[in-house]
Amino acid sequence: MRRLILISAFAVLASSASAQLPGLRKREPAPPVLQGIDALRADFLAKTGANTVYFGLGTSMLGAPARATLAVQAQWIRQHPEVLVRIEGHGEPNDTRDHALAMGARRAQEVRDYLVLLGVPAAQLSTTSFGKEQPGPPRAVTVLVR
Amino acid sequence: MIFNSKSRWLLVAAAALGSAAHAQQPAGPAATVLAVPPFATPADKPTSGGSTYGIGWEASKLIAKDLATTSEIMPVPPSQKDFYSYPEVTAPSFFKWRSLHTKMLLTGFVEARSDGRLTFGCYVYDVDKGREVARKGFVVDPSDWQRAAHKCSGLAYTAVTGAPGIFDTRITYVAEIGSGPTKIERIAIMDSDGGNQRYLTAGATMVLTPRLSPKASRVAFVSYAAGKPQVRLLDVASGNQRPLIENDAISFAPRFSPDGSRIAFSMMTGPNSDIYIASAEGGAARRLTTSPAVDTDPSFSPDGSKIVFESDRSGSQQIYVMNADGTAQRRISFGGAAYAAPEWSPDGNWIVFTRRDPGGRRIGIMKPDGTGERLLTNGPTDEGASWAASSRELVFQRTDPLGRSGLYRLSLDGAEPRNIVLPQGASDPDWSGAMD
Repeated sequence: MRRLILISAFAVLASSASAQLPGLRKREPAPPVLQGIDALRADFLAKTGANTVYFGLGTSMLGAPARATLAVQAQWIRQHPEVLVRIEGHGEPNDTRDHALAMGARRAQEVRDYLVLLGVPAAQLSTTSFGKEQPGPPRAVTVLVR
Repeated sequence: MIFNSKSRWLLVAAAALGSAAHAQQPAGPAATVLAVPPFATPADKPTSGGSTYGIGWEASKLIAKDLATTSEIMPVPPSQKDFYSYPEVTAPSFFKWRSLHTKMLLTGFVEARSDGRLTFGCYVYDVDKGREVARKGFVVDPSDWQRAAHKCSGLAYTAVTGAPGIFDTRITYVAEIGSGPTKIERIAIMDSDGGNQRYLTAGATMVLTPRLSPKASRVAFVSYAAGKPQVRLLDVASGNQRPLIENDAISFAPRFSPDGSRIAFSMMTGPNSDIYIASAEGGAARRLTTSPAVDTDPSFSPDGSKIVFESDRSGSQQIYVMNADGTAQRRISFGGAAYAAPEWSPDGNWIVFTRRDPGGRRIGIMKPDGTGERLLTNGPTDEGASWAASSRELVFQRTDPLGRSGLYRLSLDGAEPRNIVLPQGASDPDWSGAMD
Protein backbone atom coordinates (compact mmCIF):
# COMPACT_ATOMS: atom_id res chain seq x y z
CA MET A 1 0.00 0.00 0.00
CA ARG A 2 2.74 2.40 1.06
CA ARG A 3 4.67 1.44 -2.07
CA LEU A 4 1.73 2.24 -4.21
CA ILE A 5 1.48 5.70 -2.66
CA LEU A 6 5.17 6.31 -3.32
CA ILE A 7 4.84 5.26 -6.92
CA SER A 8 1.84 7.49 -7.47
CA ALA A 9 3.69 10.35 -5.80
CA PHE A 10 6.49 9.91 -8.35
CA ALA A 11 3.92 9.80 -11.12
CA VAL A 12 2.48 13.12 -9.93
CA LEU A 13 5.95 14.64 -9.77
CA ALA A 14 6.74 13.40 -13.24
CA SER A 15 3.50 14.66 -14.69
CA SER A 16 3.96 18.07 -13.08
CA ALA A 17 7.41 18.31 -14.65
CA SER A 18 6.12 17.36 -18.08
CA ALA A 19 3.18 19.73 -17.65
CA GLN A 20 5.61 22.63 -17.96
CA LEU A 21 6.83 21.33 -21.29
CA PRO A 22 3.72 20.59 -23.35
CA GLY A 23 4.33 18.41 -26.36
CA LEU A 24 7.45 16.83 -24.88
CA ARG A 25 7.31 13.42 -23.25
CA LYS A 26 9.72 13.05 -20.38
CA ARG A 27 12.13 10.26 -21.14
CA GLU A 28 15.12 8.75 -19.35
CA PRO A 29 18.36 9.45 -21.25
CA ALA A 30 19.48 6.26 -22.92
CA PRO A 31 22.82 4.92 -21.63
CA PRO A 32 25.56 5.65 -24.16
CA VAL A 33 26.54 2.74 -26.32
CA LEU A 34 30.22 2.16 -25.59
CA GLN A 35 32.38 1.23 -28.50
CA GLY A 36 35.98 0.30 -29.06
CA ILE A 37 38.40 1.05 -26.25
CA ASP A 38 35.70 2.59 -24.01
CA ALA A 39 33.66 -0.62 -24.15
CA LEU A 40 36.78 -2.69 -23.44
CA ARG A 41 37.67 -0.47 -20.48
CA ALA A 42 34.16 -0.79 -19.05
CA ASP A 43 34.28 -4.56 -19.52
CA PHE A 44 37.77 -4.74 -17.97
CA LEU A 45 36.57 -2.82 -14.89
CA ALA A 46 33.37 -4.87 -14.59
CA LYS A 47 35.16 -8.22 -14.88
CA THR A 48 38.27 -7.47 -12.80
CA GLY A 49 36.70 -5.19 -10.18
CA ALA A 50 39.68 -2.83 -9.99
CA ASN A 51 42.22 -1.25 -12.32
CA THR A 52 44.40 -0.10 -9.38
CA VAL A 53 46.62 -1.96 -6.93
CA TYR A 54 48.07 -0.28 -3.84
CA PHE A 55 51.48 -0.47 -2.17
CA GLY A 56 52.86 0.25 1.27
CA LEU A 57 54.87 3.43 1.86
CA GLY A 58 58.39 3.20 0.47
CA THR A 59 57.96 -0.27 -1.01
CA SER A 60 57.20 -1.82 -4.39
CA MET A 61 56.35 -5.28 -2.96
CA LEU A 62 53.01 -6.71 -4.10
CA GLY A 63 50.72 -7.69 -1.22
CA ALA A 64 48.14 -10.50 -1.29
CA PRO A 65 45.19 -8.24 -2.30
CA ALA A 66 47.28 -6.76 -5.15
CA ARG A 67 48.23 -10.24 -6.37
CA ALA A 68 44.60 -11.33 -6.31
CA THR A 69 43.56 -8.28 -8.35
CA LEU A 70 46.39 -8.82 -10.83
CA ALA A 71 45.49 -12.50 -11.26
CA VAL A 72 42.03 -11.47 -12.49
CA GLN A 73 43.52 -8.70 -14.63
CA ALA A 74 45.96 -11.16 -16.20
CA GLN A 75 43.13 -13.51 -17.09
CA TRP A 76 41.21 -10.72 -18.83
CA ILE A 77 44.25 -9.39 -20.69
CA ARG A 78 45.14 -12.91 -21.91
CA GLN A 79 41.65 -13.21 -23.33
CA HIS A 80 42.11 -9.92 -25.20
CA PRO A 81 45.41 -10.29 -27.07
CA GLU A 82 44.48 -7.36 -29.32
CA VAL A 83 44.59 -4.92 -26.39
CA LEU A 84 47.69 -2.93 -25.44
CA VAL A 85 48.08 -2.11 -21.75
CA ARG A 86 50.08 0.59 -19.97
CA ILE A 87 50.95 0.25 -16.28
CA GLU A 88 51.16 3.68 -14.62
CA GLY A 89 53.16 3.73 -11.38
CA HIS A 90 52.81 6.43 -8.73
CA GLY A 91 55.08 7.56 -5.88
CA GLU A 92 54.23 9.28 -2.63
CA PRO A 93 53.29 12.99 -2.40
CA ASN A 94 55.74 13.56 0.48
CA ASP A 95 58.68 12.12 -1.44
CA THR A 96 61.20 14.19 -3.39
CA ARG A 97 60.65 14.59 -7.15
CA ASP A 98 63.11 12.08 -8.61
CA HIS A 99 62.91 9.40 -5.92
CA ALA A 100 59.12 9.43 -6.38
CA LEU A 101 59.62 8.99 -10.14
CA ALA A 102 61.89 6.00 -9.54
CA MET A 103 59.48 4.45 -7.01
CA GLY A 104 56.55 4.88 -9.43
CA ALA A 105 58.59 3.25 -12.21
CA ARG A 106 59.55 0.42 -9.88
CA ARG A 107 55.93 -0.25 -8.86
CA ALA A 108 54.82 -0.26 -12.49
CA GLN A 109 57.63 -2.71 -13.29
CA GLU A 110 56.63 -5.05 -10.42
CA VAL A 111 53.05 -5.14 -11.74
CA ARG A 112 54.26 -5.74 -15.29
CA ASP A 113 56.59 -8.55 -14.21
CA TYR A 114 53.81 -10.22 -12.20
CA LEU A 115 51.40 -10.06 -15.15
CA VAL A 116 54.10 -11.63 -17.37
CA LEU A 117 54.61 -14.32 -14.73
CA LEU A 118 50.88 -15.06 -15.01
CA GLY A 119 51.19 -15.57 -18.75
CA VAL A 120 50.46 -12.15 -20.24
CA PRO A 121 52.67 -11.63 -23.32
CA ALA A 122 55.24 -8.92 -22.56
CA ALA A 123 54.56 -7.32 -25.95
CA GLN A 124 51.11 -6.29 -24.72
CA LEU A 125 52.54 -4.38 -21.74
CA SER A 126 54.38 -1.09 -21.26
CA THR A 127 55.20 0.90 -18.13
CA THR A 128 55.44 4.55 -17.15
CA SER A 129 55.79 6.55 -13.93
CA PHE A 130 54.06 9.72 -12.83
CA GLY A 131 56.16 10.06 -9.68
CA LYS A 132 54.27 12.39 -7.35
CA GLU A 133 52.61 14.39 -10.14
CA GLN A 134 49.15 12.95 -9.53
CA PRO A 135 48.51 13.00 -5.76
CA GLY A 136 47.18 9.91 -4.05
CA PRO A 137 48.40 6.78 -2.28
CA PRO A 138 51.32 4.76 -3.70
CA ARG A 139 49.74 2.67 -6.45
CA ALA A 140 49.89 1.26 -9.94
CA VAL A 141 47.03 1.70 -12.39
CA THR A 142 46.41 -0.65 -15.33
CA VAL A 143 45.27 1.45 -18.29
CA LEU A 144 44.04 -0.05 -21.56
CA VAL A 145 45.62 1.97 -24.35
CA ARG A 146 44.03 0.37 -27.45
CA MET B 1 62.99 43.44 8.83
CA ILE B 2 62.69 46.01 11.61
CA PHE B 3 64.60 48.81 9.88
CA ASN B 4 63.63 50.31 6.59
CA SER B 5 66.41 50.51 4.06
CA LYS B 6 67.29 54.11 4.90
CA SER B 7 67.67 53.61 8.65
CA ARG B 8 69.60 50.41 7.90
CA TRP B 9 72.04 52.37 5.74
CA LEU B 10 72.47 54.99 8.46
CA LEU B 11 73.19 52.24 10.97
CA VAL B 12 75.86 50.75 8.75
CA ALA B 13 77.32 54.20 8.17
CA ALA B 14 77.48 54.62 11.94
CA ALA B 15 79.18 51.24 12.23
CA ALA B 16 81.66 52.32 9.56
CA LEU B 17 82.33 55.51 11.54
CA GLY B 18 82.88 53.47 14.68
CA SER B 19 85.36 51.14 13.03
CA ALA B 20 87.20 54.12 11.54
CA ALA B 21 87.69 55.44 15.07
CA HIS B 22 89.18 52.10 16.12
CA ALA B 23 91.11 51.38 12.98
CA GLN B 24 92.88 48.32 14.38
CA GLN B 25 89.66 46.42 15.05
CA PRO B 26 88.68 43.75 12.56
CA ALA B 27 85.77 44.69 10.30
CA GLY B 28 82.40 43.72 11.73
CA PRO B 29 79.79 41.64 9.94
CA ALA B 30 78.20 44.80 8.51
CA ALA B 31 77.90 45.08 4.75
CA THR B 32 80.40 47.09 2.72
CA VAL B 33 79.06 50.53 1.82
CA LEU B 34 79.51 51.10 -1.90
CA ALA B 35 78.49 54.33 -3.65
CA VAL B 36 76.96 54.19 -7.13
CA PRO B 37 76.83 57.81 -8.36
CA PRO B 38 75.15 58.31 -11.79
CA PHE B 39 77.19 57.21 -14.80
CA ALA B 40 78.83 59.85 -16.99
CA THR B 41 78.77 60.14 -20.77
CA PRO B 42 81.44 61.77 -22.96
CA ALA B 43 78.66 63.34 -25.06
CA ASP B 44 74.91 63.04 -24.61
CA LYS B 45 73.73 61.36 -27.83
CA PRO B 46 70.39 59.82 -28.76
CA THR B 47 70.37 56.04 -29.37
CA SER B 48 67.63 53.50 -30.08
CA GLY B 49 67.57 52.77 -26.32
CA GLY B 50 67.30 56.45 -25.25
CA SER B 51 69.94 59.12 -24.71
CA THR B 52 73.32 58.01 -23.36
CA TYR B 53 72.79 60.36 -20.43
CA GLY B 54 69.40 58.74 -19.64
CA ILE B 55 70.76 55.20 -20.03
CA GLY B 56 73.63 56.06 -17.66
CA TRP B 57 71.19 57.31 -15.03
CA GLU B 58 68.95 54.23 -15.35
CA ALA B 59 71.95 51.86 -15.39
CA SER B 60 73.36 53.24 -12.13
CA LYS B 61 69.91 52.92 -10.54
CA LEU B 62 69.69 49.29 -11.70
CA ILE B 63 73.19 48.53 -10.36
CA ALA B 64 72.25 49.93 -6.93
CA LYS B 65 69.06 47.83 -7.02
CA ASP B 66 71.08 44.69 -7.93
CA LEU B 67 73.57 45.22 -5.13
CA ALA B 68 70.80 45.92 -2.59
CA THR B 69 69.65 42.29 -3.04
CA THR B 70 72.95 41.02 -1.60
CA SER B 71 73.78 40.67 2.08
CA GLU B 72 77.41 41.73 1.57
CA ILE B 73 77.02 45.15 -0.07
CA MET B 74 75.03 48.20 1.05
CA PRO B 75 74.78 50.39 -2.05
CA VAL B 76 74.35 54.18 -1.92
CA PRO B 77 71.96 54.75 -4.84
CA PRO B 78 72.64 57.46 -7.45
CA SER B 79 71.67 61.02 -6.60
CA GLN B 80 71.43 64.07 -8.88
CA LYS B 81 73.92 65.95 -6.70
CA ASP B 82 76.63 63.36 -7.33
CA PHE B 83 77.06 63.74 -11.11
CA TYR B 84 80.66 63.78 -12.23
CA SER B 85 82.33 64.59 -15.54
CA TYR B 86 83.61 62.00 -18.04
CA PRO B 87 87.32 62.50 -17.06
CA GLU B 88 86.35 61.96 -13.40
CA VAL B 89 85.24 58.38 -14.21
CA THR B 90 88.89 57.33 -13.90
CA ALA B 91 89.89 60.11 -11.49
CA PRO B 92 87.19 60.21 -8.82
CA SER B 93 87.25 62.52 -5.81
CA PHE B 94 88.29 60.07 -3.09
CA PHE B 95 88.28 62.94 -0.60
CA LYS B 96 84.55 63.53 -1.17
CA TRP B 97 83.59 59.84 -0.84
CA ARG B 98 85.83 59.37 2.20
CA SER B 99 84.03 62.25 3.89
CA LEU B 100 80.72 60.46 3.16
CA HIS B 101 82.06 57.27 4.80
CA THR B 102 81.76 55.01 1.79
CA LYS B 103 84.26 52.19 1.60
CA MET B 104 83.93 51.48 -2.10
CA LEU B 105 82.94 53.42 -5.21
CA LEU B 106 81.62 52.34 -8.60
CA THR B 107 81.95 54.81 -11.48
CA GLY B 108 81.25 54.33 -15.16
CA PHE B 109 80.28 55.81 -18.48
CA VAL B 110 77.99 55.14 -21.43
CA GLU B 111 79.24 56.10 -24.88
CA ALA B 112 77.39 55.91 -28.20
CA ARG B 113 79.48 54.17 -30.88
CA SER B 114 79.41 54.97 -34.58
CA ASP B 115 77.97 51.47 -35.29
CA GLY B 116 74.83 52.23 -33.23
CA ARG B 117 75.92 50.18 -30.23
CA LEU B 118 76.99 51.32 -26.77
CA THR B 119 80.26 51.09 -24.88
CA PHE B 120 79.85 50.60 -21.14
CA GLY B 121 82.84 51.23 -18.87
CA CYS B 122 82.77 50.23 -15.18
CA TYR B 123 85.40 51.02 -12.54
CA VAL B 124 85.50 49.90 -8.92
CA TYR B 125 87.59 51.82 -6.38
CA ASP B 126 88.69 51.23 -2.80
CA VAL B 127 87.96 54.69 -1.35
CA ASP B 128 90.14 54.34 1.76
CA LYS B 129 93.19 53.29 -0.24
CA GLY B 130 92.37 55.65 -3.12
CA ARG B 131 93.00 52.81 -5.57
CA GLU B 132 91.24 51.16 -8.50
CA VAL B 133 90.47 47.48 -7.73
CA ALA B 134 88.63 46.36 -10.88
CA ARG B 135 87.52 47.59 -14.30
CA LYS B 136 85.65 46.13 -17.22
CA GLY B 137 84.22 47.32 -20.53
CA PHE B 138 81.26 45.96 -22.49
CA VAL B 139 79.92 46.68 -25.98
CA VAL B 140 76.17 46.01 -26.22
CA ASP B 141 73.13 46.86 -28.32
CA PRO B 142 71.21 49.79 -26.81
CA SER B 143 68.31 47.40 -26.06
CA ASP B 144 70.71 45.26 -23.96
CA TRP B 145 71.86 48.02 -21.60
CA GLN B 146 70.37 46.17 -18.59
CA ARG B 147 72.70 43.21 -19.23
CA ALA B 148 75.70 45.56 -19.26
CA ALA B 149 74.48 47.12 -16.00
CA HIS B 150 74.08 43.63 -14.45
CA LYS B 151 77.66 42.86 -15.47
CA CYS B 152 78.86 46.08 -13.74
CA SER B 153 76.97 44.91 -10.62
CA GLY B 154 78.79 41.58 -10.89
CA LEU B 155 82.16 43.36 -11.20
CA ALA B 156 81.48 45.28 -7.96
CA TYR B 157 80.19 42.16 -6.17
CA THR B 158 83.28 40.15 -7.12
CA ALA B 159 85.57 43.03 -6.11
CA VAL B 160 84.01 43.09 -2.62
CA THR B 161 83.38 39.37 -1.97
CA GLY B 162 85.70 37.48 -4.30
CA ALA B 163 82.66 35.44 -5.45
CA PRO B 164 81.14 35.55 -8.96
CA GLY B 165 78.22 37.95 -9.38
CA ILE B 166 74.81 36.47 -10.13
CA PHE B 167 73.03 39.55 -11.55
CA ASP B 168 73.39 38.42 -15.17
CA THR B 169 72.32 34.79 -14.62
CA ARG B 170 69.24 32.77 -15.61
CA ILE B 171 66.86 30.50 -13.74
CA THR B 172 64.90 27.79 -15.53
CA TYR B 173 61.84 26.16 -13.97
CA VAL B 174 58.55 24.43 -14.74
CA ALA B 175 55.73 26.98 -15.14
CA GLU B 176 52.42 25.52 -13.95
CA ILE B 177 48.92 26.72 -14.78
CA GLY B 178 45.92 25.00 -13.20
CA SER B 179 46.06 21.75 -11.23
CA GLY B 180 45.08 18.11 -11.50
CA PRO B 181 44.60 16.42 -14.87
CA THR B 182 44.10 19.78 -16.66
CA LYS B 183 47.38 21.22 -15.41
CA ILE B 184 49.52 22.80 -18.15
CA GLU B 185 53.28 22.64 -17.67
CA ARG B 186 55.90 24.50 -19.68
CA ILE B 187 59.66 24.90 -19.39
CA ALA B 188 60.31 28.58 -18.58
CA ILE B 189 63.52 30.63 -18.37
CA MET B 190 63.98 34.06 -16.79
CA ASP B 191 66.60 36.45 -15.42
CA SER B 192 67.50 35.71 -11.80
CA ASP B 193 65.48 38.75 -10.61
CA GLY B 194 62.30 37.36 -12.23
CA GLY B 195 62.45 39.57 -15.35
CA ASN B 196 62.44 38.49 -19.03
CA GLN B 197 60.08 35.49 -18.69
CA ARG B 198 60.21 33.17 -21.70
CA TYR B 199 58.53 29.81 -22.33
CA LEU B 200 60.55 27.15 -24.15
CA THR B 201 57.92 24.41 -24.58
CA ALA B 202 54.31 24.74 -25.72
CA GLY B 203 52.58 22.94 -22.85
CA ALA B 204 51.14 20.02 -24.83
CA THR B 205 53.19 17.44 -22.90
CA MET B 206 54.05 17.11 -19.23
CA VAL B 207 57.59 18.25 -18.36
CA LEU B 208 59.80 18.01 -15.25
CA THR B 209 63.19 19.10 -13.85
CA PRO B 210 64.79 21.41 -16.44
CA ARG B 211 68.57 21.83 -15.90
CA LEU B 212 70.66 24.52 -17.59
CA SER B 213 73.97 23.99 -19.32
CA PRO B 214 76.70 26.14 -17.70
CA LYS B 215 76.14 29.13 -20.02
CA ALA B 216 72.37 28.62 -20.17
CA SER B 217 72.41 27.85 -23.92
CA ARG B 218 70.79 24.42 -23.49
CA VAL B 219 68.29 22.79 -21.16
CA ALA B 220 68.22 19.09 -20.27
CA PHE B 221 64.75 18.13 -19.01
CA VAL B 222 62.28 15.28 -18.57
CA SER B 223 59.46 15.04 -21.11
CA TYR B 224 56.43 12.76 -21.38
CA ALA B 225 56.35 13.21 -25.17
CA ALA B 226 56.77 9.42 -25.56
CA GLY B 227 54.21 8.64 -22.82
CA LYS B 228 56.89 7.97 -20.23
CA PRO B 229 59.50 10.18 -18.54
CA GLN B 230 62.58 10.52 -20.76
CA VAL B 231 65.48 12.98 -20.78
CA ARG B 232 65.48 15.40 -23.71
CA LEU B 233 67.77 18.26 -24.71
CA LEU B 234 66.47 21.65 -25.77
CA ASP B 235 68.35 24.48 -27.49
CA VAL B 236 67.33 27.74 -25.78
CA ALA B 237 67.83 29.98 -28.82
CA SER B 238 66.03 27.84 -31.43
CA GLY B 239 63.68 25.79 -29.24
CA ASN B 240 64.75 22.58 -31.06
CA GLN B 241 64.54 19.36 -29.03
CA ARG B 242 65.92 15.84 -29.25
CA PRO B 243 66.08 12.80 -26.95
CA LEU B 244 69.36 12.41 -25.04
CA ILE B 245 69.41 8.62 -25.54
CA GLU B 246 67.64 6.84 -28.40
CA ASN B 247 65.98 4.03 -26.47
CA ASP B 248 62.72 3.03 -24.86
CA ALA B 249 63.77 3.22 -21.19
CA ILE B 250 62.48 5.57 -18.51
CA SER B 251 65.16 8.20 -17.78
CA PHE B 252 65.18 11.30 -15.54
CA ALA B 253 67.19 13.56 -13.19
CA PRO B 254 69.63 14.96 -15.82
CA ARG B 255 72.47 17.31 -14.92
CA PHE B 256 75.25 18.83 -17.04
CA SER B 257 78.94 18.45 -16.20
CA PRO B 258 80.63 21.79 -15.31
CA ASP B 259 82.11 22.06 -18.85
CA GLY B 260 78.75 21.24 -20.44
CA SER B 261 80.13 18.30 -22.44
CA ARG B 262 78.52 15.44 -20.47
CA ILE B 263 75.19 14.71 -18.79
CA ALA B 264 74.71 12.46 -15.77
CA PHE B 265 71.19 11.08 -15.27
CA SER B 266 69.10 8.18 -13.96
CA MET B 267 67.79 5.37 -16.16
CA MET B 268 65.56 2.40 -15.32
CA THR B 269 66.50 -1.14 -16.33
CA GLY B 270 63.67 -3.32 -15.08
CA PRO B 271 62.92 -2.25 -11.50
CA ASN B 272 66.42 -0.81 -11.07
CA SER B 273 67.24 2.92 -11.22
CA ASP B 274 70.96 3.52 -11.80
CA ILE B 275 73.13 6.51 -12.64
CA TYR B 276 74.51 6.78 -16.17
CA ILE B 277 76.68 9.28 -17.99
CA ALA B 278 76.47 10.27 -21.67
CA SER B 279 77.95 12.85 -24.00
CA ALA B 280 75.69 15.90 -24.42
CA GLU B 281 76.21 15.46 -28.18
CA GLY B 282 74.56 12.03 -28.16
CA GLY B 283 75.83 8.46 -28.29
CA ALA B 284 75.77 5.57 -25.87
CA ALA B 285 75.36 5.92 -22.11
CA ARG B 286 77.82 4.43 -19.64
CA ARG B 287 76.54 2.95 -16.39
CA LEU B 288 78.14 4.28 -13.18
CA THR B 289 76.17 2.54 -10.39
CA THR B 290 74.93 -1.05 -10.19
CA SER B 291 73.13 -1.18 -6.85
CA PRO B 292 69.64 -2.76 -7.00
CA ALA B 293 68.37 0.26 -5.04
CA VAL B 294 67.14 3.62 -6.37
CA ASP B 295 70.24 5.65 -7.34
CA THR B 296 69.34 9.11 -8.65
CA ASP B 297 69.92 12.90 -8.62
CA PRO B 298 73.61 12.97 -9.69
CA SER B 299 75.46 16.32 -9.52
CA PHE B 300 79.09 16.98 -10.52
CA SER B 301 81.79 18.57 -8.37
CA PRO B 302 82.97 21.88 -9.92
CA ASP B 303 86.13 20.25 -11.35
CA GLY B 304 84.04 17.44 -12.89
CA SER B 305 86.05 14.70 -11.16
CA LYS B 306 83.39 13.58 -8.67
CA ILE B 307 79.63 13.06 -8.56
CA VAL B 308 77.37 13.44 -5.53
CA PHE B 309 74.13 11.43 -5.74
CA GLU B 310 71.26 9.98 -3.76
CA SER B 311 70.66 6.28 -3.08
CA ASP B 312 68.27 4.30 -0.88
CA ARG B 313 70.60 1.27 -0.85
CA SER B 314 70.90 1.53 2.95
CA GLY B 315 67.11 1.35 3.33
CA SER B 316 66.49 5.09 3.27
CA GLN B 317 67.50 7.92 0.93
CA GLN B 318 71.07 9.02 1.74
CA ILE B 319 73.77 11.05 0.01
CA TYR B 320 76.83 9.40 -1.56
CA VAL B 321 79.94 10.67 -3.34
CA MET B 322 81.81 8.77 -6.07
CA ASN B 323 84.44 9.44 -8.71
CA ALA B 324 82.98 10.51 -12.07
CA ASP B 325 83.81 7.02 -13.45
CA GLY B 326 81.67 5.32 -10.77
CA THR B 327 84.51 4.13 -8.53
CA ALA B 328 84.97 4.80 -4.78
CA GLN B 329 81.29 5.18 -3.81
CA ARG B 330 80.82 6.15 -0.19
CA ARG B 331 78.00 7.48 1.95
CA ILE B 332 78.43 10.95 3.50
CA SER B 333 75.05 11.66 5.21
CA PHE B 334 74.51 10.19 8.67
CA GLY B 335 72.11 12.66 10.31
CA GLY B 336 69.35 10.25 11.31
CA ALA B 337 66.88 11.28 8.59
CA ALA B 338 66.48 10.79 4.84
CA TYR B 339 68.63 13.02 2.61
CA ALA B 340 67.79 13.63 -1.04
CA ALA B 341 68.39 15.75 -4.14
CA PRO B 342 72.01 16.84 -3.53
CA GLU B 343 73.70 19.57 -5.60
CA TRP B 344 77.39 20.47 -5.35
CA SER B 345 78.11 24.21 -4.87
CA PRO B 346 80.07 25.95 -7.68
CA ASP B 347 82.92 26.80 -5.25
CA GLY B 348 83.11 23.13 -4.22
CA ASN B 349 82.70 23.78 -0.49
CA TRP B 350 79.10 22.67 0.12
CA ILE B 351 76.45 20.19 -0.89
CA VAL B 352 72.85 21.37 -0.64
CA PHE B 353 70.20 18.72 0.04
CA THR B 354 66.53 18.14 0.87
CA ARG B 355 66.20 16.54 4.31
CA ARG B 356 63.11 14.35 4.83
CA ASP B 357 61.88 13.49 8.29
CA PRO B 358 58.43 13.24 9.94
CA GLY B 359 58.43 17.06 10.20
CA GLY B 360 58.49 17.40 6.41
CA ARG B 361 61.04 18.44 3.79
CA ARG B 362 63.64 21.09 4.52
CA ILE B 363 66.67 22.54 2.69
CA GLY B 364 70.12 22.22 4.26
CA ILE B 365 73.82 22.13 3.46
CA MET B 366 76.76 19.95 4.45
CA LYS B 367 80.41 19.78 3.46
CA PRO B 368 81.42 17.22 0.81
CA ASP B 369 82.82 14.99 3.60
CA GLY B 370 79.42 15.01 5.34
CA THR B 371 80.40 17.28 8.24
CA GLY B 372 79.04 20.73 9.08
CA GLU B 373 75.35 19.95 8.43
CA ARG B 374 73.17 23.06 8.70
CA LEU B 375 69.43 23.36 7.99
CA LEU B 376 68.47 26.56 6.16
CA THR B 377 64.66 26.40 5.94
CA ASN B 378 61.84 25.33 8.26
CA GLY B 379 59.87 23.43 5.61
CA PRO B 380 57.63 21.51 5.64
CA THR B 381 57.27 21.35 1.83
CA ASP B 382 60.63 22.63 0.53
CA GLU B 383 62.72 20.81 -2.06
CA GLY B 384 64.78 20.99 -5.24
CA ALA B 385 67.42 23.52 -4.16
CA SER B 386 69.90 24.82 -6.76
CA TRP B 387 73.01 26.97 -6.23
CA ALA B 388 73.64 30.45 -7.58
CA ALA B 389 77.03 30.94 -9.28
CA SER B 390 78.19 32.86 -6.18
CA SER B 391 77.77 29.75 -3.95
CA ARG B 392 76.22 32.19 -1.43
CA GLU B 393 72.61 31.89 -2.51
CA LEU B 394 70.11 29.19 -3.48
CA VAL B 395 66.78 28.93 -5.25
CA PHE B 396 64.28 26.26 -4.15
CA GLN B 397 60.64 25.20 -4.48
CA ARG B 398 58.03 25.52 -1.70
CA THR B 399 54.44 24.25 -1.91
CA ASP B 400 51.68 26.06 0.00
CA PRO B 401 48.89 24.23 1.87
CA LEU B 402 46.62 24.49 -1.19
CA GLY B 403 49.16 22.61 -3.30
CA ARG B 404 50.40 25.63 -5.26
CA SER B 405 54.16 25.75 -5.61
CA GLY B 406 56.41 28.78 -6.00
CA LEU B 407 60.12 29.66 -6.10
CA TYR B 408 62.14 31.20 -3.28
CA ARG B 409 65.63 32.70 -3.05
CA LEU B 410 67.63 31.90 0.03
CA SER B 411 71.02 33.26 1.14
CA LEU B 412 73.38 31.33 3.37
CA ASP B 413 73.53 34.18 5.91
CA GLY B 414 70.37 32.91 7.58
CA ALA B 415 67.82 35.47 6.36
CA GLU B 416 64.23 34.41 5.61
CA PRO B 417 63.68 32.99 2.10
CA ARG B 418 62.27 35.54 -0.38
CA ASN B 419 59.52 34.63 -2.83
CA ILE B 420 60.26 35.30 -6.51
CA VAL B 421 57.06 36.88 -7.85
CA LEU B 422 56.03 34.99 -11.00
CA PRO B 423 53.04 35.15 -13.35
CA GLN B 424 52.01 31.57 -12.48
CA GLY B 425 52.87 28.55 -10.30
CA ALA B 426 56.44 27.27 -10.50
CA SER B 427 58.47 24.20 -9.56
CA ASP B 428 61.84 22.51 -10.18
CA PRO B 429 64.11 25.60 -10.38
CA ASP B 430 67.68 25.43 -11.68
CA TRP B 431 70.11 28.38 -11.54
CA SER B 432 72.69 28.93 -14.30
CA GLY B 433 76.40 29.58 -13.85
CA ALA B 434 77.97 32.99 -14.49
CA MET B 435 77.24 34.08 -18.06
CA ASP B 436 80.39 35.88 -19.29
